[in-house]
Amino acid sequence: MKILIADDSRVMRQIVVRTLRQAGFGDHDLVEAADGKQALEMTKSETPDLVISDWNMPELTGIEVLRELRAGGNNVKFGFVTSECTPEMMQQAESAGSLFFIVKPFSAERFDEVFAPILG
Amino acid sequence: MSTEVEVQEGDLAEMVEQVWQAYLDPEGINPLIPTYDENQASEVHSSVSISGSWSGHVVYASSMTAARRAAAAFLAMEPEEVSHEDLSDVLGELANIVGGNVKAMLPSGAFLSLPQVVLAPASATRYPNAERIAGIYGLWDGEPVSFSMWQSRSDNKEENA
Repeated sequence: MKILIADDSRVMRQIVVRTLRQAGFGDHDLVEAADGKQALEMTKSETPDLVISDWNMPELTGIEVLRELRAGGNNVKFGFVTSECTPEMMQQAESAGSLFFIVKPFSAERFDEVFAPILG
Repeated sequence: MSTEVEVQEGDLAEMVEQVWQAYLDPEGINPLIPTYDENQASEVHSSVSISGSWSGHVVYASSMTAARRAAAAFLAMEPEEVSHEDLSDVLGELANIVGGNVKAMLPSGAFLSLPQVVLAPASATRYPNAERIAGIYGLWDGEPVSFSMWQSRSDNKEENA
């Protein structure tokens, strides 16, 4: 499977990649986007099976990316890894079609719990 | 009516502890040891601003050695290998993670800024009309590290009146 990791923080993309490996998902094809606009473009051009996105990013926020994708008929599996987590955000994410919401800081166990059912 | 501050020092301490558990001290051998010294020295700092239902700033500050060590831990490399870019990315992320966690405890309608990093002591940056409402000050392997919360006075002017 191909997984797109969208986060404006290079450090956080690296930590997400490392945590995916620790949780046993390192064999998947991992690609990275450094802001919301790039995430939107790469989701279209790279056609990943899963998008793991930050919320607060320059250009487009994660929720804007998700909404644009869904408005364009793209149903890629999409969810958030973010340091912010309010009930409103979770509700917005869910109603926009998000599959998961992981709060930073996170553990490999949390990744396993969320991604095992998605990635098999 | 002023906005009630819903984030207490104990909450901030818990958030900071989670960062240590997840990234900086996963094996639990090098915790941040409290000094309660709000005037402790720093050489670098980073911050995020929150606006909306609550206005203020969340600030990380530390020595350069602690910052390098944090970057090395985040990036799984040796402190000597840490580049300038690594350092500023990690400092920004530290403020962002704790700031995001703070935001999650505030009333709805709060917005988090992108992080700002300054390679100078925390005292080099002023937050006009803001006062410190909480802070965690400690030593990490002998090096000063702190996280503090600053609330803009427009939010608490009644308390100051």
